[in-house]
Amino acid sequence: MTLGARDIEKRFTHRPVLRRASLELHPGEIVLLRGVNGSGKTTFARILATTLAPDAGDVTLDGEPVRRRLRAARRAIGFLSHRPLLYAGLTPLENLEFFGRLAGVTDARLRAERLLERFGLASFARTPMERFSRGMLQRVALIRALLPAPEVLILDEPYAGLDDEGSSTLNGLLGEARGRGTASLVISHDRDRIAPLATRERELKDGRIEASP
Amino acid sequence: MTALRVLEKDLKLHARDARFLATLALFSLSLVLILSVAFGPFFRDPAREASATLWAALFFAGVLGLTRTLDLESESGGGEALRLTGADPFAIYAGKTIANFLLLAVLFFLLLPCAAVFFDVGNLEVFPTVVGVAALTLIGYAAWGTLFAALARGLRARELLLSILLFPTLIPLWIGAVKLTRSLWADGTIEPVRDWVKIMVVIDVLGVALAAWLYEVIQEAEE
Repeated sequence: MTLGARDIEKRFTHRPVLRRASLELHPGEIVLLRGVNGSGKTTFARILATTLAPDAGDVTLDGEPVRRRLRAARRAIGFLSHRPLLYAGLTPLENLEFFGRLAGVTDARLRAERLLERFGLASFARTPMERFSRGMLQRVALIRALLPAPEVLILDEPYAGLDDEGSSTLNGLLGEARGRGTASLVISHDRDRIAPLATRERELKDGRIEASP
Repeated sequence: MTALRVLEKDLKLHARDARFLATLALFSLSLVLILSVAFGPFFRDPAREASATLWAALFFAGVLGLTRTLDLESESGGGEALRLTGADPFAIYAGKTIANFLLLAVLFFLLLPCAAVFFDVGNLEVFPTVVGVAALTLIGYAAWGTLFAALARGLRARELLLSILLFPTLIPLWIGAVKLTRSLWADGTIEPVRDWVKIMVVIDVLGVALAAWLYEVIQEAEE
């Protein structure tokens, strides 16, 4: 599935953040998007993930505007936000099963257990997440995005809070997703961690997406 | 199934928050106690005073419950996560509404015996009808409350906005609940004020219908 963003514009209280930003994500690609703090990377990611509407421009999935079939598009896109988007009062397993089932994953529990084990969280699967560290929350949030095996992955700073082991597990899963034909966009400052996997690099600068130097 | 999963999730979160449940119980019981002392010690129309006290306490304490539901979604970003699943927005609304209804129902069953004892009103014969009146009232409360909570979510003054929107809308429900309960406790029948049932049904249906129409729009407007 190809996710496209064409001439995306977004302003926040009259301050332009994105100015005709365009990008296409093709199946089997892992695109690294970089940019300085405040350059609009998170805004762009949220627009691609359909949680924020652009002021102008189109986001398309296989050429069709996502707004026309929003719910189907959301089921095709896995999104890791800079917030965990998990309920602190539930355990990782309960969170993952809940969001997985809502997304239409029938064997959500089994897949959640497998992914928790891969991320070294099997022994915490039934522990409420209220006292989880930043790194543990990030791992569970990554599993939430990866659980439905989406056709498009948008990961906003996926290495934040992850140790070397967690980063290596994530890269393994990204490699497997690429093998399945998943199109991935990784927004990260950790160029060294994602570089071996990235098929393209782009930079968000002055509200536009440019080829990375 | 989506509605059931959302319901299960919300109930789990409420049940695990002992501090919230204790606050809710103590606040509502204090209201009943304070109002019974204010009306007493000699009641002129105990059925009227008891029903007014019961429903005032329930309506005010209910806002605490709705605010908590609102906070649960805002703090965790759960609202955004729910949208990302691509689940049916009305099913999400239905699950949350049923969870709020059950929370209010538990509160009702906690306050009812207190109001009955403090004001010395009620009997077991009218109990099933009182429960029916409560169901009619709380369905509307939960339907409108969940809709307005979604509308207020993400705003800085969300608790204020929720109260400003909710109470004027629910005035007919509150009056109806007080009149019907009073009639049951005083006369053992709702016949003299039967028309209020129709008004309350209309308010309940309106709340659910408006949510069916608007909930997705409200959900998508959240940024």
